[in-house]
Amino acid sequence: MTTSTMTDKSIRGAGPGTPTRDRAPGGSWKAWIPALLVLFATPLLLAGNAFYIHLAVLICLNIIFVNGLALINRTGQLSFCHAALMGMGAFVAVICTVRFQAPFLLSVLAGVAASMLAAYLLGAVILRLQGVYFVLVTFCFGELFRLVLLEGGDITGGANGIANIPPASLLGFAFDSKLSFYVLAAACAFLSILLLIALFKTPKGNSLDAVGDNPDLAEASGISIQGSQMFAFVLGSAFAGFAGALLAHYLGFVSPESFNQHISVAAIIMLVIGGRGSVLGPILGALIMTPLPELFRSAIETQNIMYGITLILVLKFLPKGLVGLVGAASRFRNEGGR
Amino acid sequence: MDFTFLIGQALTNGLIIGLLYLLMAIGFTLVFGVMRVVNFAHGEFYMLGAFSAYVCVTKLQLPFLAAVLATFAFTLVIGWIIEVVVMKGFRGDELNGMIATIGLAMILQNGALMVFGPDPQSMPPAAEGVVSLGPVMLPMSRLYVVAFSLVVLVVLYGFLMHSKGGRALRAVVQDIEIANAQGIRSQFMYPLGFGIGVALAAIAGALMAPVFSVSPSIGSTPLLKAFIVVILGGLGSIPGAALAALLLGVFESVANTFMSSSFSDMLLFCFVILMLIFRPSGLLGKAGR
Repeated sequence: MTTSTMTDKSIRGAGPGTPTRDRAPGGSWKAWIPALLVLFATPLLLAGNAFYIHLAVLICLNIIFVNGLALINRTGQLSFCHAALMGMGAFVAVICTVRFQAPFLLSVLAGVAASMLAAYLLGAVILRLQGVYFVLVTFCFGELFRLVLLEGGDITGGANGIANIPPASLLGFAFDSKLSFYVLAAACAFLSILLLIALFKTPKGNSLDAVGDNPDLAEASGISIQGSQMFAFVLGSAFAGFAGALLAHYLGFVSPESFNQHISVAAIIMLVIGGRGSVLGPILGALIMTPLPELFRSAIETQNIMYGITLILVLKFLPKGLVGLVGAASRFRNEGGR
Repeated sequence: MDFTFLIGQALTNGLIIGLLYLLMAIGFTLVFGVMRVVNFAHGEFYMLGAFSAYVCVTKLQLPFLAAVLATFAFTLVIGWIIEVVVMKGFRGDELNGMIATIGLAMILQNGALMVFGPDPQSMPPAAEGVVSLGPVMLPMSRLYVVAFSLVVLVVLYGFLMHSKGGRALRAVVQDIEIANAQGIRSQFMYPLGFGIGVALAAIAGALMAPVFSVSPSIGSTPLLKAFIVVILGGLGSIPGAALAALLLGVFESVANTFMSSSFSDMLLFCFVILMLIFRPSGLLGKAGR
């Protein structure tokens, strides 16, 4: 019992209302943003290698996707239908583009709106209940969504999905090459990071953290638990839907199996290994965990077992994720310098 | 094929499936009650139980009864060890414990893939012959399932209600601090509760192994069904789970007679959502937050 309360505290950090928690470990965001820009610019140097650019695009889309999950997790919830909400965004956007010839921007907006609406309706039902129901119901919803896609007939293309999706285009410019799409994806990923940083500097962001840290205390201070969790769930799902809509237009193809439970679990793994409770965590998680399956393509079972073991070890010994390691290293450096 | 025959057959098949869902859901509830953790590896223990029975019967040539008992003992020990080695740090830690069980599920499922390969294996039926109850035909192998499940449930009830260990376990589920104050050694109760919980899932797997095929991916459907039973029955309510499991089994069986299985699944999910809107505490559950 003592051990569990200890880990609780160390994960959740200090009590609510401590504005220091959203600061990145190892310095302020002013120092990190140029580093991020350099990071996003690096793949441009590898422009000759299409495979690296492809990986870089996937990393950017995963950053947006996992950022959404991180936002939901900041209020103490873990969504198991994150991939389904990504699929919702992808399919609605694709149907708008292919069936109604809607322009790219409009269909992406429609996809994001659909994800937000689905999250709002689902949240209205389950957020009244205890935390565990959130997990159980979102898991079931993920399955339901996959079944609906499979049975969707002409509208969703059934098990075959929808192919021949036209590439993204903005103001007459088509992002039809890998490199040009990378620029779009990197800009979107960067904006999603800035949005989260800005959000967690506002009182609204602090109230989300407060609900995640200690719901009872937050409620006693006049913060609505249900309202905060709903806000995070809807906004986080919008991130997922956005990533889905971009992914569909990048690959030119969507199918129900691209959004099954394994994708939701993959997002959770990225989040936990990267680190929860800071904006840097999802970036690290996506950066490290996206290329790994490509490297171990031949031994998928061994790879999954390694993932499982890593997940448990990280939870046990590094509950803040790899970000915690970065923070510890910079603290060590600071103390050594004095 | 007249209508009463179809309904009668569907009802009896549904009750049999419902008993298995009940074993799964009670195991899940027990693990949640003791650890406060949603066990995502529960379906993998079902799979482990099915493979254990398969190995006992086909490789070791044990009779089916011995195979089921061996499976129970084997998974109880495995569950005990896993609790002590892996889950110990996550007792009472809802979020991290749940994520740890995802890791556990990945290890178990891919471990089984490496050992047994992805192809479905089939196992000889537990018993030959058919019993006819009026117009309804019941294969002996399915009657075995009913008899075993009922025996397991009665033994479990006796253990939880009338033995010292069972009373201690229930006390830990109700309130860990009071239980500690009363001198219950909770350090012993955590692995016991986890072990019995996952062993119940394994028994369900072992009983189903001769009826369906056995492969490393069979755990996901029973896990989903256990989730649905727990939502419908109200988390933590065993009578609620019993009612919900039997209703779910009957509903599925009857629905599959008249429509495609994915359509009946969709109907079921819609029913789950409606239930949460109008009666969130479950069929027999107490009110939540």
